[in-house]
Amino acid sequence: MTGAIGAVIGAIAVIPGLGFLATPLKKEMVTGGEEPLRVGSIDDVKPGKPKRVNVVGDKHDAWLHMDAVKLGACWLVREKDGGPVKAYSTVCPHLGCGIDWNDKTEKFDCPCHGSVFDTEGKCVEGPSPRGMDELEVVTAGNDIKVRYRRFRLAIHDKEPVG
Amino acid sequence: MSSHSGGPSSTPPDPNQNPVLAWLESRIGYKGLVKMMIDEPIPGGARWWYVFGSVLTFILTMQLLTGVFLASFYSPASNTAWASVAFINDQLTMGWFVRGLHSTGASAMIVLTCMHLAQVLIYGAYKAPREMNWVVGVLMLGMVMAFALTGYLLPWDQKGYWATQVATSIIGSSPVIGPAIQKLLQGGSAYGTFTITHFYALHTYVLPGAIIGLLLLHLYLFRRHGVTAKWNTSPQELARKTEPFWPDQLYRDMVACGITFLAIVLIVIKNHGTELEAPADPSSSYIARPEWYFLPLFQLLKYFEGPLEIVGTMVIPGLAGGLLVALPFLDRSPTRDPRRRLVVMIGAAAGFAGVIMMGLLAVRHDNADPNYAKQRAEASEQSETARHLALKGVPPEGGQAVFRNDPLFEAREIWAEKCSGCHSLTGQGGEKGPDLHDYNSRAWILSFLQNPDAPTRMGPAKLEKGMKAVTGTPEELAALTELVYAESGASDVNPALVAKGKELLSEKDCDSCHDMDGTTENTGPNLKGRGTLKYVKDTISDSGPPLLYGKKDKMPAFNEKLTPQQIDLMAKFVLGQKKK
Repeated sequence: MTGAIGAVIGAIAVIPGLGFLATPLKKEMVTGGEEPLRVGSIDDVKPGKPKRVNVVGDKHDAWLHMDAVKLGACWLVREKDGGPVKAYSTVCPHLGCGIDWNDKTEKFDCPCHGSVFDTEGKCVEGPSPRGMDELEVVTAGNDIKVRYRRFRLAIHDKEPVG
Repeated sequence: MSSHSGGPSSTPPDPNQNPVLAWLESRIGYKGLVKMMIDEPIPGGARWWYVFGSVLTFILTMQLLTGVFLASFYSPASNTAWASVAFINDQLTMGWFVRGLHSTGASAMIVLTCMHLAQVLIYGAYKAPREMNWVVGVLMLGMVMAFALTGYLLPWDQKGYWATQVATSIIGSSPVIGPAIQKLLQGGSAYGTFTITHFYALHTYVLPGAIIGLLLLHLYLFRRHGVTAKWNTSPQELARKTEPFWPDQLYRDMVACGITFLAIVLIVIKNHGTELEAPADPSSSYIARPEWYFLPLFQLLKYFEGPLEIVGTMVIPGLAGGLLVALPFLDRSPTRDPRRRLVVMIGAAAGFAGVIMMGLLAVRHDNADPNYAKQRAEASEQSETARHLALKGVPPEGGQAVFRNDPLFEAREIWAEKCSGCHSLTGQGGEKGPDLHDYNSRAWILSFLQNPDAPTRMGPAKLEKGMKAVTGTPEELAALTELVYAESGASDVNPALVAKGKELLSEKDCDSCHDMDGTTENTGPNLKGRGTLKYVKDTISDSGPPLLYGKKDKMPAFNEKLTPQQIDLMAKFVLGQKKK
């Protein structure tokens, strides 16, 4: 009987408590960038010379709503022989550091654990389990817009989070 | 508890004693408690080797106290975390010192925990019947590391933000339950305010509760089994030399605590507290490095690629931790003599050397990387700027918004993004447009007149039928320069030279392309008000109208790419390039 009373008290306390703590599993707490956001114009991106641009948009973080803040950044890339502009997230798919462009090697470097990516975002060296995460590009006239997403890190498949 | 443990004192009250103390003694029996704490017999007597546990307890107490101080001023949210830490560090009385003690204390905690672990290893103190005390100790080492990890995220600066991402991503990469645990831990699928509140709750409630609980258990088990004396002393010798904790061992413990505290204080003073980097910027390419004690783990991540990655992130650290916990159950021989436990001794030494070596490799790699040094210098400059600007108060959006206190910061960002592709500010020449270093000075104008197509002037723009070089005596060129210079509204104009310049306009054929009335369209820009704020703003907005560059215009119009405020800012920025 004592045990049963204890169990009932415990259950009544624990169930709502767990539900409370598990809210982040069910609800997105940080949102922003779902709609394509303008990051630059096509003229800004020279073939063979990737350009790093910030993705600026409205962000909702917990109880805060912020207008026009940096959501992240991406690399805009046009192959040397022209072609469309592609966008790659600067977030390294390995463990989330910011990827840099190396002018000398003409490759992307991750400064944390040494992954190297080519201009198509493919991982050619280092621990990253997949290539750079390509973001959806929407062109409207001269404008380049990007749909900013984050992806699960350190796994082979590109799975969006949230 | 050992047999001499306290309880209500049975001795009658001493008539000479302070009546308040006597009353207290009769109600709570504090004398028994004190006696229990300081009378613990130490077989073989006091030794310096035994001080580490006490020093750790001392540092933990210091961490709890400084932690409460910091929590009294810290505000855990993404828009306030950095700002409140900057305030604590730079504006509170002795804030830098308290924060420095807390941060350096964390490092000391790791060092002392390792020393404590080494002592227990060498003395074979993990052996029966003390296996569980070893296990509790290893759990506490895990707690100390969890404290460190949750702690350095809290300032929400670049370092905390980026380095902690690596740790939570590793958790998230584990199969099946990884993503759910990551979300629960960081309070959502991305870093945000709830990441801070979650880490704050862990750091200030969950972990302290857990570590105090484990510490009590650790002490209870320690008192239950007593100190582990040196292996080569006979039971008779131990019994003969046994002495209580008070006074000799307590003295040694106090000296060790004093030395440790002094070392911490000196480090804090030398570093003037501890670093606080610029506010977290999710769009930056910050070179994330963890605190020094996690560098070996960080280095380990570099060696395993693709599907083997999990070996570096989880398998090796997991095995090392598991081995540590299981040690007393693997090494079950009764001997405690290190010479007869060579496998354990050599294994532990090799493991420790491996950890140190990995850390050193990480440091060496970074020291050899010029890019790393450059980014570190940039990061420290940003940090200084941000903290300096925070003294004026941080806007409510917090974090990065602090940079808005400095209008030039935004200008530099816009310059880098929109202008630097064509123009330069270095005096070395731009890619497609004039170099604006020292723009608006007499020297800039003069060199333009002498050679409009110089690499630092209009040369890179490759204008068809651009301006011809002006030839003349130095006096004539000075007069024309002064004429153009006067249009900028400068206050140090020489009117006589200006008048002479005006006379030269026709003679030097300037007026066939340029007018100076602000209304007549010609093939070159109308020079009325050239170099004024309005003129530069008009040029940035759209340099295409006939009064400016007309058909020769090559610069994009920025009136749709920048707001009027930004154009104003950029015009002031360009005018500010003139040497003072």
